[in-house]
Amino acid sequence: MLSAILSLLMAAGSDSVSGPWRATLDLAGGELRFSLVIEAGSARLCNGPACEPFSGTRWQGDSLVLDLGDYAASISAAHHGDSLTGYYRNLGRRGPRTIPFRAARGTWRMRSQSPGMLGQWDAWFESEFSATPRVLEFRAGADGVEGAVIANSGDAGLFWGEAAGDSIVIAHFDGSFVYLLTGRLDGDTLRGEFHAGLRSRTPFVATRSSGKPHLTPPTAVTRADTTPFRFSFPDLEGRTISSTDERFRGKAVLIDIFGTWCPTCHDAAPTLVELYRDFRDRGLEIVGVAFEATGDTAHDAGLVRRYRQKHGIEFPLLLGGISEQEVVSAALPQLDGFTAFPTTIFVGRDGRVRRIHAGFYGPATGAQHTALVAEFRSAVESLLAESGPQAQ
Amino acid sequence: MALAIRVPLRLVVAGTISLSLTASRAELQAQGVPPTLQQERGDLTAWLAEAPLSPFAAVALHPIGPGLTIGVAPADIPLAEFGSGTVNEKNGLAILTVDGRHRSLPRGRPVAIGPYTLLTAGARGRATLAVFGAPREAKRPTYYPYRGDLVASAALEPPERAGPFVVLGLDGLDTQAVEAGFLRIAWENQEARLRVYRLGEADDDEAALFVFFQDPTNGKGSYPAGRFVELIPQGGGRYQLDLNRARNPFCAYSTVFPCPAPWPGNRLTVPVTAGERYIETPKAR
Repeated sequence: MLSAILSLLMAAGSDSVSGPWRATLDLAGGELRFSLVIEAGSARLCNGPACEPFSGTRWQGDSLVLDLGDYAASISAAHHGDSLTGYYRNLGRRGPRTIPFRAARGTWRMRSQSPGMLGQWDAWFESEFSATPRVLEFRAGADGVEGAVIANSGDAGLFWGEAAGDSIVIAHFDGSFVYLLTGRLDGDTLRGEFHAGLRSRTPFVATRSSGKPHLTPPTAVTRADTTPFRFSFPDLEGRTISSTDERFRGKAVLIDIFGTWCPTCHDAAPTLVELYRDFRDRGLEIVGVAFEATGDTAHDAGLVRRYRQKHGIEFPLLLGGISEQEVVSAALPQLDGFTAFPTTIFVGRDGRVRRIHAGFYGPATGAQHTALVAEFRSAVESLLAESGPQAQ
Repeated sequence: MALAIRVPLRLVVAGTISLSLTASRAELQAQGVPPTLQQERGDLTAWLAEAPLSPFAAVALHPIGPGLTIGVAPADIPLAEFGSGTVNEKNGLAILTVDGRHRSLPRGRPVAIGPYTLLTAGARGRATLAVFGAPREAKRPTYYPYRGDLVASAALEPPERAGPFVVLGLDGLDTQAVEAGFLRIAWENQEARLRVYRLGEADDDEAALFVFFQDPTNGKGSYPAGRFVELIPQGGGRYQLDLNRARNPFCAYSTVFPCPAPWPGNRLTVPVTAGERYIETPKAR
């Protein structure tokens, strides 16, 4: 009933706000550009080709309010003719997190006119008197430049923007993360700044990737002890699934630690679905262990069911608890150094851990994604080629 | 290569400036407060009045220690709605147990339970539990008139201390800190070298730089324990220090929160008649 009323209210004002909008968050150090698509009763937030729906749209007085329920965030903007002006807000612990927002009718025209800028760069992010590594990936998209900023723990999703002359500007805004990367070529060096939130600015210096590893290899982040890997969690129907169950005996097993709230986990799911489809008959089992926002079993099970349906997952998904590093460490005490969602644990037919892969390079990372998928397939082939526990 | 900066900070004899105790928006504009700062102050005022984690909504703060009780008096946190609840820290994670049912309280993440919001903070083994209820009457922050001469920018000088440590943040809770360096400000016959910490967890991209400072106005118009200023990055390694943005720690709003200890060396000798004021509430008779 309420939603019907909201739709009507939305429709009442929608003759004037419907359509595509060129949206901007005005960060202290530059403009973060994204797209809004408003239709009667709904709206989408897009970084180039990647769009996500807002959880709600409504009018409050003469302001349009777009809610991002997952992040307790919203954009509220006054509508005057062909412009929207207002703020993006979400709740902080020490005070409000507020960033000016504006939009004009139309579609961004992003350029990708600097082929010399494209490719992979090894960057150092300089935080006052120390530096941490990142890999920057830029490529030409259908409309502008697409790319990724990859840290030791994985990438934050698709960045989108433009490159022209010796400059590049790409951004990612998903309702919670507010990231803008600006850079300028200086000979063979790319120098720029990574902006996070309204004010945070981290200078960086990058050189073309040499092919040598720049980040900590994802397989060297988390370790496990040498005893058979144990887990025991309820599935979505409340049955306990354990590593000692008959279905895992003598099988190669992948344990995917994920959360439905984690965009990179959504990026990884299709690869796991494909591996299960291709190798199940040869002795591969996969289990997903979800760590969710609330820890409330009924609520979390609903979210995980939706995730299972969205990706067509046929392997068991279990409920591990709340999505907190320490909860995971307590629930899987054999792991040492758990830091990233998702983390994939490769277990041999003898039940012992062979390899742990922290994070996942999503499709936004281009060639790295392709290489990673091939690496996962080859790792599974190796596990399947091992002899079973009877050989011990 | 850090540059010493010159702040044309006029020495002001305390009491020579007439102050409005409850500055309205119109008055703020009249005082020349830049629009961005007006917006920031308006947002903070609304946040203090409405947010679930507003210091005005805080009802209790207690170290978890070897375990605490929450529920019917004489519990450590006497909130009858929790019956005979307990909070214990196991493997670094705080767990609330009420009537045999367990609920995790992940560090730094607010958990709503009935009319209350629970928040744990602090290092492993030394966590603190804060409990927030419905926002109570929020006092509107008040400010000194705007002083354009108290805005300066500079690069940081290198830090003296390496590695992370724990300090009490603006929000009265333990937080991870890294010494980011020093900001040297100089004026007429005075010079100060202010210690700057980056406050926030290691993976927080938006962890900001802060200065917590004392000055001669403390207890005479500004909050006795001192005030925080968040530095504004300007790119190229430079930061703006705008003393008009000085904010009170949460202990100024609610006695639930402890006050941070002064940061070594951050005592200015010139009165900073800018930023947030403090008007003591008359003691209830």
